[in-house]
Amino acid sequence: MKAYLSAFRMRWKMEVQYRGAVVGGVACQVLFGLILVALYRALYRGRPQSMPLSAITTYVWLQQAFFRMLLSSDPELMDKIRTGGIAYDLCRPLQLYGYYYVRIMAQKMVGSLLRAIPMLAFAALLPEGWGISLPASWPALAVSVCGVALGLLCVSALENISMGFTMRTLDFRGVMALMNLVMTTLSGNILPLTLFPDAWQKVITLLPYAQLLDTPIRLYTGEYALARAPGALAVQAAWTVLLILMGMLLWQRNQRRLIVQGG
Amino acid sequence: MHPPFAARLRSTPIIYRVTGGLSIFFGKPLTEEEKYGKLFFLALSLLLNLYGGTMSYIAVENLCKTFTVRKKREKGKLLREKTVIQALDSVSFSIERGELVGYIGPNGAGKSTTVKILSGILTPDGGSALVGGRVPWKERKAHVRHIGVVFGQRSQLWWDVPIVDSFSLLKDIYRIPEADYKKRLDRLTGALGLEELLRTPLRLLSLGQRMRAELCGSLLHGPELLFLDEPTIGLDAVSKLALRDFLQKENREKGTTILLTTHDMEDIAALCPRVMVLGHGRKLFDGALPDLLSRYDTERVMTVRCDALPPLPEGCRAQREGDAYKIVYHPDENRTADLISLLHQSVPIRELTVQGQNVDHLIAAMYREMDL
Amino acid sequence: MDTVKLYLRSMKMQLKCQMQYPASFFLQTLAQFVMEAGELLAVILIVDRFESLNQWGAGDLYFFFGLMSVTFYLTECFGRGVTGAFPSMVRSGQVDTLLLRPRGVLTQVMCWAMDPRRFACIAVGTAALILGSRMAAVRWTVLKALALAEAIVLGGVMILGLFLIEGIFVIHSVKSVELVNGLTYGGRSACEYPIDVYPRPLRVLFTVAAPFALVLQVPAAYILGKPLYGWPGWTAFVCPLAGLVSFGTFYALFQRAMRFYRSTGS
Repeated sequence: MKAYLSAFRMRWKMEVQYRGAVVGGVACQVLFGLILVALYRALYRGRPQSMPLSAITTYVWLQQAFFRMLLSSDPELMDKIRTGGIAYDLCRPLQLYGYYYVRIMAQKMVGSLLRAIPMLAFAALLPEGWGISLPASWPALAVSVCGVALGLLCVSALENISMGFTMRTLDFRGVMALMNLVMTTLSGNILPLTLFPDAWQKVITLLPYAQLLDTPIRLYTGEYALARAPGALAVQAAWTVLLILMGMLLWQRNQRRLIVQGG
Repeated sequence: MHPPFAARLRSTPIIYRVTGGLSIFFGKPLTEEEKYGKLFFLALSLLLNLYGGTMSYIAVENLCKTFTVRKKREKGKLLREKTVIQALDSVSFSIERGELVGYIGPNGAGKSTTVKILSGILTPDGGSALVGGRVPWKERKAHVRHIGVVFGQRSQLWWDVPIVDSFSLLKDIYRIPEADYKKRLDRLTGALGLEELLRTPLRLLSLGQRMRAELCGSLLHGPELLFLDEPTIGLDAVSKLALRDFLQKENREKGTTILLTTHDMEDIAALCPRVMVLGHGRKLFDGALPDLLSRYDTERVMTVRCDALPPLPEGCRAQREGDAYKIVYHPDENRTADLISLLHQSVPIRELTVQGQNVDHLIAAMYREMDL
Repeated sequence: MDTVKLYLRSMKMQLKCQMQYPASFFLQTLAQFVMEAGELLAVILIVDRFESLNQWGAGDLYFFFGLMSVTFYLTECFGRGVTGAFPSMVRSGQVDTLLLRPRGVLTQVMCWAMDPRRFACIAVGTAALILGSRMAAVRWTVLKALALAEAIVLGGVMILGLFLIEGIFVIHSVKSVELVNGLTYGGRSACEYPIDVYPRPLRVLFTVAAPFALVLQVPAAYILGKPLYGWPGWTAFVCPLAGLVSFGTFYALFQRAMRFYRSTGS
């Protein structure tokens, strides 16, 4: 518990130091959000859909706000792997797994909260059909917050697995790039999953990537009715647990094949 | 005559050599006036040549440079505090072709600032500097073609690539003709012992090997002037000696002017007949190293292997170390010969050595006195 | 001309360097391919659901996407040094090394980092172009081909200018460098779709500040036979020159930034 708090505090200090970067980043994301919303508005003018426009715009803004959560966030660890410093740490793989898990989670949480709050504030001020709309109901909000929390746990587990792979292949750029792009596509960042063909959605929503943001967002907008909530959260939790177990297994096996790339 | 003007004329010899010479010998002067006009040009060009020839290779006058550093924002204040650092405060010196000059001073004295300005990277705030008749920061590309710079802590070659590939890229960058390149490469790799390392990437070389590769890379385009910034830092004794040897040969055989910035006093003592000391942005000394040290060389250490010491005159401090005594004294107050005869008369001496203080101690004393 | 030779030599060396780790290279190229294919997929899915966007049909949308993709990634492929390597070189002081060589700083930076992995993206973009032109039943003429070439070349020049902004910001120690990305990459994402669907502020932004619309979309619209805003045909050849203007502006700012760097050191 203490480790968790200290990781959190350290990360917070770091992010606050680079205030300018955060401001720039938020402005950048806001611009992206506006562009996407404008695009979907134009599309909807031509051919209105069953789903209300406001649901789509809400989706877009929530995705953009929490984008930081999806990004691969620990270049330090990558460097450590590349230069071989990780070899010393690998002597106790499970503890190490826990440590890095918490670290990654802290990074994502702080990074996304710092940016999400101003962004969502801005989006809330936009007029209807442009910005974010209110949640379907208070319980829906509560449930979606749980969903985001679970999503955070899930994505941290995913990232830990990709770290594990990096340790095996000692090639971080390729794996990271592949992970990032799969993540962003299938989590609904490039195109809201709700706009995917219905047949595809059935499959994609079962994948772990959709559990990160898509599920919480749909809970928020009420597309997943409250009755479905426990089921959706359960799927998230199940994937999270599975991914954590896979990650632990991978790190443990890495210990056996220790490859040290000296400098 | 205004130096830059003369320098500019001198650096374009075509103009006045053609007007002076050819017009006399190939043009037929039509009138008396024209004939005198051409003679005048010839005389003028000869004068300028003479004058230009007497100018120093590097001429620095009243060079000034300040940096503004912004500190972290303090609580309660709106703007960040700025401190102005005077890196160079009216520094002047001149260096002739073929000199080997050492440049020393404590950290932050302004040594690397001087080197950066003379290599054309940095623009000064005041004063003038001419290298080979050019203003370094104004004619950067032309100037840089004739100089080489080696940084002890930063690499200028490509990291992942065999050094021979780095060299061939440098050949393209500096537009070195193929024949010259081959000749110089052979000579330098031979002199620096790089033949077997040519196919190795830079990242796999040891520090000493890396420094040799850097030196090779910086001399490929045959520069007339070489700046070295802490080249022997981190090197083992053998590499240091080899490097000094190489620099000396380069200076003697090719006439390369070398400006060496270093903290290693052994380098200076071994290589540089002339030394400049910089402190707080000002030049504090410019001359031969022995002259510099003689001012601070006030103590001697006499090491005597004997059983006991007689009572020593005032001003001598004695200390027992192992089976010998170390006596520290000032030769002005107590002459060495007197001390030796005193000891010789009192006790049987097994061994006796007299040394001056370590060069680093002397430099530290100098810094203390100059308040650096 | 020896600048071109230098550039070719550097590229060869870069390639050799990257090929040292063939597996990694292959994986990264694959990642690029999948990423761009993913973007194209987004367009395809949008077309599938919405069928058209104002007066623009499916083929038109693929064409716009393809043109932007090809131009942007061609520039990134050859100019990666400006956007990736240069800012970090400024921070680490390595720019001094560049200043010690008898070549322009920009020349050297462009020689520094070529990114052959981007070829995968260019391939996807080309496929989209071809697909789009087929579906929109474009009747190709020499003039239209010229317009396309001009758009790609001048588009590349303009994007290179935008890449310079990040370096300029870093030199002047501006903290919020990310803002620049909004203009460059935001412009790329936005102008994958025809600009007349966006509201006025965005349109102005991407016509004046980062003239993607003028350089790429006016010629594209001309080729597709549906001129943007109904402008006459010759604008398709004149408007891309805005790319030169844009580059010129940023290049001048870059020179000024270099002068600033040289007076304040690192």
